Amino acid sequence: MPGRDVTREVFEGISSGGETLFYVLTAVATIIFFVGIGVRLRKYIRGRRQDVIGSPLGFVGRAARSLVDTAVNRTVAKRDPYAGVFHAAIMWGFIVLFIGTAILTVESDVIRPFAPDLSFYWGAFYLGYSLVLDVLGLVMLVGIAAMAIRRARRPRQLDYGRVDIAPATTDRGGFRTGDWIFLGWLAILGLSGFVLEGARILAHDFPDFEVFSPVGWVVAGAFRIIGLDAASAESIRYVTWWGHALTALAFVAYFPFSKAIHTLADPVNLALRSPLAGRRLPVLTASGPSPADGHLGIRDLADLTWKQLLDVDACTKCGRCHDACPAVASGAPLSPRDLILDLRQEADAAWSILAPLGEHRSDHAYGGGTAAEAEVTANGGSRLAGGLISANTLWSCTTCLACVEACPVGIEHVPTIVGMRRSLVDQAIVSPTLQAAFTSLAKQGNSFGQAGRARGRWTDDLATPIVDARREAVDWLWFVGDFASYDVRVQEATRQVARVFQAAGMDFGILYEGERNAGNDVRRAGEEGLFELLVEHNVGQLSKARFRRIVTTDPHTLNTLKFEYPDFGGDYEVWHYSQVIAALLESGDLQVSRRTNRRVTYHDPCYLARYARVTAAPRDVLAAIGAELVEMPRNGANTFCCGAGGGRVWQDDSGLAERPSEQRIREAATLAGVTDFVTACPKDLTMYTAAAKATGHDGRIEVADLIELVAAAIELPDETPPPDAEVTPTQLVAAEILPG
Amino acid sequence: MDYVVLLKQVPDLAEELEIDADGTGLDREWLSFVASEWDEYALEEALLLRDQGHGGTVTCLALGVETGDVDELLATCLARGADRVIKVGSFEAPPDSHTAAAAFADALAHVHYDLILTGVQAIDDLDGQVGPLLATRLDLPHVSVVTHIALAHHHTTVTVHQEYAGGIVAEFEATLPAVLGVQTSRETPRYAPVSRIRQLMKTATIEAMAGGGGAGSGLVIEAMAIPETGSTAEMISGNPQAIAERIAAILSERGIGTAVAR
Repeated sequence: MPGRDVTREVFEGISSGGETLFYVLTAVATIIFFVGIGVRLRKYIRGRRQDVIGSPLGFVGRAARSLVDTAVNRTVAKRDPYAGVFHAAIMWGFIVLFIGTAILTVESDVIRPFAPDLSFYWGAFYLGYSLVLDVLGLVMLVGIAAMAIRRARRPRQLDYGRVDIAPATTDRGGFRTGDWIFLGWLAILGLSGFVLEGARILAHDFPDFEVFSPVGWVVAGAFRIIGLDAASAESIRYVTWWGHALTALAFVAYFPFSKAIHTLADPVNLALRSPLAGRRLPVLTASGPSPADGHLGIRDLADLTWKQLLDVDACTKCGRCHDACPAVASGAPLSPRDLILDLRQEADAAWSILAPLGEHRSDHAYGGGTAAEAEVTANGGSRLAGGLISANTLWSCTTCLACVEACPVGIEHVPTIVGMRRSLVDQAIVSPTLQAAFTSLAKQGNSFGQAGRARGRWTDDLATPIVDARREAVDWLWFVGDFASYDVRVQEATRQVARVFQAAGMDFGILYEGERNAGNDVRRAGEEGLFELLVEHNVGQLSKARFRRIVTTDPHTLNTLKFEYPDFGGDYEVWHYSQVIAALLESGDLQVSRRTNRRVTYHDPCYLARYARVTAAPRDVLAAIGAELVEMPRNGANTFCCGAGGGRVWQDDSGLAERPSEQRIREAATLAGVTDFVTACPKDLTMYTAAAKATGHDGRIEVADLIELVAAAIELPDETPPPDAEVTPTQLVAAEILPG
Repeated sequence: MDYVVLLKQVPDLAEELEIDADGTGLDREWLSFVASEWDEYALEEALLLRDQGHGGTVTCLALGVETGDVDELLATCLARGADRVIKVGSFEAPPDSHTAAAAFADALAHVHYDLILTGVQAIDDLDGQVGPLLATRLDLPHVSVVTHIALAHHHTTVTVHQEYAGGIVAEFEATLPAVLGVQTSRETPRYAPVSRIRQLMKTATIEAMAGGGGAGSGLVIEAMAIPETGSTAEMISGNPQAIAERIAAILSERGIGTAVAR
């Protein structure tokens, strides 16, 4: 067993005065650290209350899972294994080195002065400790090097250029400097540690046991090769000791004011993220904590909850949301990253919080808004919705949830954006087309500007009528949705759904004119009052019908019925029709008689794949009918939005560089031999049919709803509608003017 | 400056209108009501004038008609920014313009005003007489079909535009108080958030005033019918594709552009 001489002196060669100086500096650095943390906590306390815990047991489970996610860097590695591996290297290197330093502090400042008998920093412990710290220190340096190389290449998501402001009027150099300082500081800490170690080993003339510090050993060897002797090694050691110590103490002080804070804020933010983020938006209650002037939504800084303030601090500027966002991709004036950073900079500036190093406010016109528009409010800070964050920026969001899905640190962008949209609606900052849609939804219950009583008219052409679920009990209540009911192109698919259900002998019914728009996108457009109006109506109608469960053709409807209606007294079992079809094929109620020989690609609707997390059922259906599925590069939960969600379909999209739907069609067109672009969402059918035409791919790629392939595969007999009962010109005009 | 705006609801044309069994009115079963478009312009102009430096209050008046929802109409006015709302009289059905003007005149005996604005007409009767009749009763100047309302600095006169055919615009100056029949507003009428309307429906004070009776236009609707399709017009029917092709064919027959069927 190695004896007590197998160790090293902690303050070797440091005078008692030097040692005192070290402790004084340590105390100063520690005080600055905690003051910094305190300032941040004070910021969160200024936020509004938000219950993020829910049921204690559920919270503990989620927190435990998040801790594991953090430990293995699951969210960092998702879709970017390079970043995942090397981030984990830096993280674990840093953690182990920190623990090592803490152990040393216990030994030298607690055990040795007060209980020297218990001293453990020698012998086998010392050897193991040395080896572990050396290896992890090296791992950290490798990670830093790999990340520095990546950063130096400036991938798109790390180029902090803004989408909404001309490069000349904004300077993001501070962001890059701050990032390099953080990375560089870590590198200096690691490197100076190894230099120190190498110098010590050389100065002590290579004690055998120090081979357990392999990196230090190699460094010592290198020093000897370049001709250093023991005496000069000792002076290098002395200087490096102070250099390393001061760098480390300064890092402690710098920590809460820099990107380093993410190491503390982000595990917490991950643990606090909600599994229903974006899926279930918070209810606006008059009885809840509301500001004195009665404004609704997030208008000012003071309207943000503490969790939203933590969110903005959690951002590491990794740019994954920026990269995934369809608004960014289509040239809209919104980047989720910039929105989050704008809020952070504003909160820090308004509340005199030291901004992270190099992140001082440099942009005078955030989000296209001008300083004058961003009027200063009584709560300190400028008006957010429609001021600092311009209305155009907020309206650009499709609520596709790609940002939330991509964010490795659990930031919930979409609820914050919708919160600000609620304020825009409250301030009556609503475009004419959106206003027309809202008005029609309030009066007629649909966004097409058509009569509410015409909702069930698509059934007129069916040979077998559909049961009115308000009059007869059914197993399945089919909530049809706006697009499926009113859009002329989608109506064909809707009738096929009905006929396939009928062919499978399903016991189902619809609400006819009793149904109104379920309100998912109304809510996401920020019109909470109208959403409540629609929910109350629909819940009232559903309570009159007798059914066991709901099936819907529309993923947007699926989301709100499933996740949001429970808050309003409507708790239902809700299925998407693709899940029902998959089950019917599985059970044999639907028989495939003519297998499809088509080579198809499948587009995951955002609200199906990301919100409801349904990705397998449509693929099972495609497999069952014999289609050959070729995946697009972005598929499953990583799907790319069509651009219609969250009320975007009611807004003008002529200002976009290229519509997201057109980019998506081009993505599909790169797949060799694919003839069909299959989707399972009425809005997608409309959007992509138009996009295929606009991009000139309509001859080559057929945009089809899943049901159309299923109908062909089960050889549903042709049912030609009577020639006279068709669309009237006024209906057509309305559909063209108001595509929502 | 105190502004008074007179408003009413009219049937919503988005619903399919049907004639009732008597053949003299609309079937109410499926009827829904919306604020009359021109009245909304009048309100928007009043709010803009108030908020753009002239100050004062905006008071909205509507007749207490049982069809539709007058409370919702007035709550919407409040949600848009009106200061005060008053429901005038009590009517089973929307009265004729003479009765309406008499009722408003009765109520306005108790309300201070400098400028009275109303929509130039409404789609349900196309009468356009409430403004002139009210001005007569109150002995005030009146201009109809106006745009570009501007107030003089001392709030003694108002200047308005009337647009004529052929791109000619006339400018009028009227001494205040005056009655204006508004054709359009400078800006699209602002949006009234449903949350606010719902909140105001519960909490707001809607004043009630008596008014009306005694007047009458002497006109009676004898019959209402859907116009018959003339033989000279071609009604294009069929599916969207067929309709589009027919339109394209007509355009190319007449040599209007080069129509491309998509």
